[in-house]
Amino acid sequence: MGLKFDPRTKLMLMITIGLIMMSGKLTGPEYILRLVCTAIPFILLLSIKSFKSAILYAILLSGTVFCEGFIVPYTNGVMNLIVMTICGVISRFGPGYLMGWYFVSSTSVSEFITAMKKMHFPDVVTIPMSVMFRYFPTLKEEYLSIHDAMKMREIGQGVKNPFQYVEYVLVPIMMSTVQIANDLSAASLTKGLGVNNGRTHICRISMKAYDWLLILAMVSMLVIFYAF
Amino acid sequence: MIEFSNVNFEYRTTKADGTNDDIIGVKNINLRIRDGEFVVLTGGSGCGKTTLVRLINGLIPHFYTGKLTGEVMVEGMHVKDTPIYELSEHVGSVFQNPKTQFFNVNTTDEMAFAAENQRRDPEHIVKLIETTAGFLNVRKLLDRNIFELSGGEKQIVACAGIAVLSPSVVVLDEPSSNLDHDAITRLGKILKKWKDEGKTIVVAEHRLFYLKDLADRMLLFRNGEIEHEYDSREISTLTLDDTERLGIRPLSLLEVPCKQKEKDAFIDYLRLENFDFSYKDKKHSIHISDLSVPSDCVTAIIGHNGAGKSTLARNICGLEKHCRGTMEYHGRRMKYKDRLHSCYMIMQDVNHQLFTESVGDEVMLSMTDKTIDEDEKEKRAHAILRELDLDIFFETHPMALSGGQKQRTAIASGIASSKPILIFDEPTSGLDLYHMKQVASEILKLKELGKTVLIITHDYEFILQCCDYVLEIEDGQVRDSYPLDDHTIDKLRRFIMPKVKGEGNV
Repeated sequence: MGLKFDPRTKLMLMITIGLIMMSGKLTGPEYILRLVCTAIPFILLLSIKSFKSAILYAILLSGTVFCEGFIVPYTNGVMNLIVMTICGVISRFGPGYLMGWYFVSSTSVSEFITAMKKMHFPDVVTIPMSVMFRYFPTLKEEYLSIHDAMKMREIGQGVKNPFQYVEYVLVPIMMSTVQIANDLSAASLTKGLGVNNGRTHICRISMKAYDWLLILAMVSMLVIFYAF
Repeated sequence: MIEFSNVNFEYRTTKADGTNDDIIGVKNINLRIRDGEFVVLTGGSGCGKTTLVRLINGLIPHFYTGKLTGEVMVEGMHVKDTPIYELSEHVGSVFQNPKTQFFNVNTTDEMAFAAENQRRDPEHIVKLIETTAGFLNVRKLLDRNIFELSGGEKQIVACAGIAVLSPSVVVLDEPSSNLDHDAITRLGKILKKWKDEGKTIVVAEHRLFYLKDLADRMLLFRNGEIEHEYDSREISTLTLDDTERLGIRPLSLLEVPCKQKEKDAFIDYLRLENFDFSYKDKKHSIHISDLSVPSDCVTAIIGHNGAGKSTLARNICGLEKHCRGTMEYHGRRMKYKDRLHSCYMIMQDVNHQLFTESVGDEVMLSMTDKTIDEDEKEKRAHAILRELDLDIFFETHPMALSGGQKQRTAIASGIASSKPILIFDEPTSGLDLYHMKQVASEILKLKELGKTVLIITHDYEFILQCCDYVLEIEDGQVRDSYPLDDHTIDKLRRFIMPKVKGEGNV
């Protein structure tokens, strides 16, 4: 499946899924909408060939959907509360989180900037958001080497003191990301990045028929969701 | 043309207690750089060469603030009154750290970035990228994820991005710091092409050997002032003794002598067996079935980017669980867990391994032996820090230290951990002659303390300063290993600088 969507379509998908999953009820037509929304990230993950995360996601989510549909009604008391909470967190945040991940990993910085420009967002909004795309991989790199350093120092090991672990990770990560952000700003400025100067784009994005179709589907889902 | 008249600049920084502290950037700069001239700025750390570069590309005063007097003119523009995005059409910049100069994740997008910001026609940009990639021979770097590139490749992509917009002035701030010899040679070739095109080039740099034949002029900075100017004829006559005396790195690596005496034999060995390891992406894997390295000396691990040096180091340290290999050390066979308890790595970016609020705490954190009490720990910490000239910083926050001091703090923690094997990952990248020698002397101290020291490095001069044994890694295997002395120095040269065999003018 070499289907490539316009970033605007992906944004629309992300917003719709986020809204429906976060607040939908577990009965009636809303439950069917939720099932559809749960399935979308799975298909999209397959389309960018992240098979491992797609399958993991499918197992996890079908498990929770099953629990919500068939186990929750037959339990009560503490058991009900525990199952409800765990399922609730996974089913409500899972799809949205995976959509975000899909969005960041399938969209390039320049596609994002171009799309935001076409939707007439000001640079003040677009540019800080676009840095996010390289911020996450940077954060991962930094975290991995800090984790190594901790292993070697034999600190923050074990579960005895989670707060200390967090402190030991956060302090160096803050220090290095502040430095990286500073250097990156300087470098971007010397490449002529400025706010509201206007810029051109070599990247071409365009809305295809299936983009419009998907957006239409999302809009109708939202209409059903809020009208009924 | 670039013209400085009576330029002074002081950085404004805020100290921990909230008072302002002005640090001299440059002073009394009067300088004229002609169109098409190639100027090298050199001198020790903090001498003002980076500040001069920032004054040309407009980061001073538009990004780094402070007190600026005098006038800087670049291509007819007053830098002070011209916004950076206008300057950037005429001045391209390459920075020291390849990790932090990319706005995009995709390389082709990055190459287009500067031109897009100047509102060039997209179709034209696409064509320019194509021709630039051909011209600089970087086609295989197009359309890649920057997180998968080596430091050298990133630096080449940064140069390509500048070439697309093709500004008349290019400034580079220590561009070779993180590169191996091959990548430096490629960088030198790009600079040569730009020079032939008539671009004005200003390079601030410690490592001078690759600039020797390109430079029209070299300016030696000291304490923010231009101490001396050398024209190209004078540069070519500077000998190793001269550069030593001036405190700068040598202009020709072939002159650097080997300090090590021939040794009779090594007494004890560290032996690695079945070190076979590869990552998921199959890159940087290592296949070492049997390897012995003398354990009572300093060993340099050398090899080109991607040869597997870091993988080897990580495996020795026990950071890779899935490595089945064993290490024999002082008669003990060690699996990965035991190795984790006996090895300590000083990372290239030391910021990642400093966790506490004071240098003293940092050192004491490493003393995991529960049988000694706090007073004893503190006493030992003072002793270790005194040895490394850090005792006055006992109460200081590690992040308030300079790069070299941070590195020494990490070394101090390594000593405090009483682990017998210390591994350094490129400890001298971006260091000037003085600091490089300082690191070398610290490593010699560690050797005296009886530590086994392994160093991953690209720095030829540094290897000659302090290493006794050389391990050549290629494609994840040991290509050769030998003690370093006057007889084997040729081997080392051939490996590090393969293209200059017999030419004698690196």
